[in-house]
Amino acid sequence: MPNSDELTIDESTLEELTKLKNGAGYEKRTWDEWFNFAFNLESSTAQSTLEKVMEKLHYESFDEWVQNFAINLNQIWNESSARVLDPLQSSTTHNEEHSAIVIGSGPSIKKHNHLELIAKSDYKGSIICGDGSLTSALQAGITPDKFPKFYVLTIDPLERQRKLYDNDLVNKYGGKINGIFSTVIHPSAVSRAREAGIKIHWVHPLFDYGEGKKSFNQISALMARAKNHKDGLPAIQIGGNVGTAAWFVGWQILRCTVIALVGINHGWEEDDPWEKIISHGRTADPKMYGNDISVSVDKSDPSFEKLFRKIYNPEFNCYSIVDPLYQFYSNALKEFIIRSPKWLTTVNATEGGSIFGERIKCMRLRQFLDDYKK
Amino acid sequence: MKANFNIKKNDILSNLKNQTTPEHKELTQEEFEEFIVKSGAKGSFMVYRSPKKEDELGLDSL
Repeated sequence: MPNSDELTIDESTLEELTKLKNGAGYEKRTWDEWFNFAFNLESSTAQSTLEKVMEKLHYESFDEWVQNFAINLNQIWNESSARVLDPLQSSTTHNEEHSAIVIGSGPSIKKHNHLELIAKSDYKGSIICGDGSLTSALQAGITPDKFPKFYVLTIDPLERQRKLYDNDLVNKYGGKINGIFSTVIHPSAVSRAREAGIKIHWVHPLFDYGEGKKSFNQISALMARAKNHKDGLPAIQIGGNVGTAAWFVGWQILRCTVIALVGINHGWEEDDPWEKIISHGRTADPKMYGNDISVSVDKSDPSFEKLFRKIYNPEFNCYSIVDPLYQFYSNALKEFIIRSPKWLTTVNATEGGSIFGERIKCMRLRQFLDDYKK
Repeated sequence: MKANFNIKKNDILSNLKNQTTPEHKELTQEEFEEFIVKSGAKGSFMVYRSPKKEDELGLDSL
């Protein structure tokens, strides 16, 4: 009779498990550690902790975001819903394969010259830039003249996002760019995009919809419907950051069947400067973030290993250093990719970082551009 | 051929071991919050959670 305290498996199963364990970089670690990693046993609890903190911090800015919405409301009434970008609105052909490349500003984008690679390609699909990568994409030659299905997305409601649109290249190409903006974005940021000629399209960012009719999501939606938008606006999961939101836009608004990620590392390269890593990249961009960053980390501190995890990416045979914010982003995006419909393929062409695993097809960007033309 | 996995009980000894290997423990709420505030990352968006799980993936129209 089997002993309930004993797990017995075939030797062939053990061999397969050993291959998977070693392949994930767990060769010298215990089986218990690998099981926790492989089946995500620890991170679901850990992610819940991280999400509680982010929710608390989110609500510290709640008043400002309500004010942003109030100031934006007249423009929301007079400008387009992001739903007009949905190809299903004007076509009944649901099944045609079409792809998008989501461009983030993670460290691999420079390391692998990904922007230049895209710029020189004959890719015909959609380009979705997070606002932080807009200027560098245009500078590299990824322009709406060459890639007419060109989109930029801003989610972050802070005033500093304005700087991302305050650029001559944005002025030059703005008239050919479709912008997708959260209804709580800072008014001066969307105003600057509007000045550059970017066509504004609005989406609601989901954060408290489930709290019922008195939630801000539901009240602001009723206000937006009060004039012109009688069918409302699409509401998207942000996932904590613009990169994940851009992936949702590719799926839920543009209805792409394939979405490739570049510059979506959700982690740091091993050779990135520590000052940059411990500040979540903010010290590397004082123009955007100022000089008031006070984080300092003692590498001998017991919490160091927990704060900055070094993980092995078996898909690209490299390591990534994942800070706490990237742990939060990465866990969420991987969860949503697993939950996405089977007709949607997510390709990670970042060539590094922490986004790999179930339902994520990893390949070199060059390979993606060869395989997916439209 | 079969292979056996021995189950290690979560007893006092293993709990003590965990306490002396902090690198294997998860971030606490306080540690994470401190990092977020000090790094200037405050203002980032939360992840939307709902009892209706399908709503977490977005709404066509709100």
